[in-house]
Amino acid sequence: MESSSILDSLGVEIIGVMAPVSICMFLVVLLTYSLSVTSDPQIRTAANLIYIENPSDSATVKLEGSLENAIVFVVLVAFVTFVLVLLFYYNFTNFLKHYMRFSAFFVLGTMGGAIFLSIIQHFSVPVDSITCFVLLFNFTVLGTLSVFSEGMPIVVRQCYMVVMGIVVAAWFTKLPEWTTWFILVALALYDLVAVLAPGGPLKLLVELASTRDQELPAMVYEARPTVSRSGGGGSSLRVLVGGGGGGVSDSGSVELQAVGDGAATHNLDYNAVAVMDVDGVGRSREGHSASPVSSEHSRELGSVGNRESVAEEEMSPLVELMGWGDNREEPRGLVEESDNIDRGIKLGLGDFIFYSVLVGRAAMYDLMTVYACYLAIISGLGCTLILLSVYNKALPALPISIMLGVVFYFLTRLLMEPFVVGMTTNLMMF
Amino acid sequence: MTVAAGIGYALLALGPSLSLFVSVISRKPFLILTLLSSTLVWLVSLIILSGLWRPFLPLKANVWWPYALLVLSSVCFQEALRFLFWKLYMRLEDVLDSFADRISRPRLFLTDKLQIALAGGLGHGVAHAVFFCLSLLTPAFGPATFYVDRCSKVPFFLVSAIIALAFVTIHTFSMVIAFEGYAKGNKVDQVIVPVIHLSAGMLTLVNFASEGCVIGVPLLYLVASLTLLHCGKMVWQRLIESRNQSGSTLR
Repeated sequence: MESSSILDSLGVEIIGVMAPVSICMFLVVLLTYSLSVTSDPQIRTAANLIYIENPSDSATVKLEGSLENAIVFVVLVAFVTFVLVLLFYYNFTNFLKHYMRFSAFFVLGTMGGAIFLSIIQHFSVPVDSITCFVLLFNFTVLGTLSVFSEGMPIVVRQCYMVVMGIVVAAWFTKLPEWTTWFILVALALYDLVAVLAPGGPLKLLVELASTRDQELPAMVYEARPTVSRSGGGGSSLRVLVGGGGGGVSDSGSVELQAVGDGAATHNLDYNAVAVMDVDGVGRSREGHSASPVSSEHSRELGSVGNRESVAEEEMSPLVELMGWGDNREEPRGLVEESDNIDRGIKLGLGDFIFYSVLVGRAAMYDLMTVYACYLAIISGLGCTLILLSVYNKALPALPISIMLGVVFYFLTRLLMEPFVVGMTTNLMMF
Repeated sequence: MTVAAGIGYALLALGPSLSLFVSVISRKPFLILTLLSSTLVWLVSLIILSGLWRPFLPLKANVWWPYALLVLSSVCFQEALRFLFWKLYMRLEDVLDSFADRISRPRLFLTDKLQIALAGGLGHGVAHAVFFCLSLLTPAFGPATFYVDRCSKVPFFLVSAIIALAFVTIHTFSMVIAFEGYAKGNKVDQVIVPVIHLSAGMLTLVNFASEGCVIGVPLLYLVASLTLLHCGKMVWQRLIESRNQSGSTLR
């Protein structure tokens, strides 16, 4: 239909990433909210090896202690990431994949099981231990299988990625307050360095994976289009096959990377990066140039590679990113090539986790801070995605979002709350 | 009065926006993005305002004029921000149109523009309801409820949910009015929006009097329904106009 508006298809990719992140954050908030009554004993993880926070400690002690915790944690994460890169460099890919599967099993089975149990206890769900065990085991095994397997529907994989994000994040929300904030900030900074600095472990990993044309050995949420295009039955297959075949374009993605400290059992941790590459777009298409439509289109495609005019430079990134998915209704001649343009954005599981940790921590203060942090994180993610389309390379997804989230949290808590509460309790609004 | 009450209050304030969201906004990812960014704009404006007023808080509970000043300054600030939002939207519209040209799709339709304005307005409205009503609802999920002295007949949460609903309506549809007014250069529409906003804000000052909410809330709803009426009339006219225009060009 000629008259469908461009508004229908713009931004599908962005929403494809934001929706699971939002679901993950929402569920973590719900979990922390409903389970917060049962006071858990402090957990001991790699995130607080040095210092155990005590509410009665003075501010300086807390500050020093949590700073030390954060530094130790980041050093650990960096170390494990380097080990991962080394293993990947020497082609221990299968070992890495099995390790990821093992850690997925472990996360879902133990940490997920613990959360599962506390839910059952809190809501007094009548279930016997055998049923519970069988259910948990099945759930865990399915999740383990869904990591790195081709046969699994993408939806299952995506769901399990979100579930793992929730489980780990819910676990991390049990960390003491000061330590949480320091670790979040430290990880955001680490992410920035690891992805962008030359020699950063995540940068090495992503480059290695792309030069070898291999899948990243990491826990990554892929926002690939799950709906088949108008092309018919074959299309979903093509989407799965991705850019391998047609040679036209493939789109790559964001990514992230996982690091696990399996020995410490609870500290499975992931960091993230976003990557995207668009290559090979400018294939010659003499055959189609007769039609004005396709030449227009090819010009658009060409501009990805080299943008000439300033004006174009200014707007194309956003438009590119948002507009990609909508080649559906092009005239026939174009269908084959435009269909090859699929874009999947990948977001590391680490991003899911630490976004949710921030929101979960905010939920322990008040709902107001939750909304503010949610908006801040989502807009930070939006900014990252826009930057992604500008730079077309792996980008860290944590720094902008976490910084915005932390800033908004404290602004809300210190400035906005007294203002809003003062207004509303007098029933005054505007 | 526990979880059921809390959810009830939340739905009272946000139910209509929820159905608008599901039926119109969620169909088009771009509108969701518009909604989110407009919510963010509103949040930022609220933070800036609270930063400005923070030194003077808490206000004395028995004098009303500082509150009037506060509402006045806030409304002025937000209306200025609305104008900036419009400027931003204009640039976005240009980008979208040129993009549509490049992939040889039709430019934005009138309904698209109206939907973008609606999403922007809904963002403001939802942000209002979320920060002024929903974020205070936490205690409502517990076993007790809360009354304020000046409105002793109705629970505080219920009143604030009802007021929030009125404001959601006002914010949502005044954005549509404002965008249309700016686009057509219609002075009446441009002026009426700040007037609506200001009068709605000032009407909440009536709640300051003891039992004032009995009068203040119905008056607020009068303003809200006037906004709704005006918006409906205007959109109807625009749709008819554009249908006539496109009909004549087709012929």
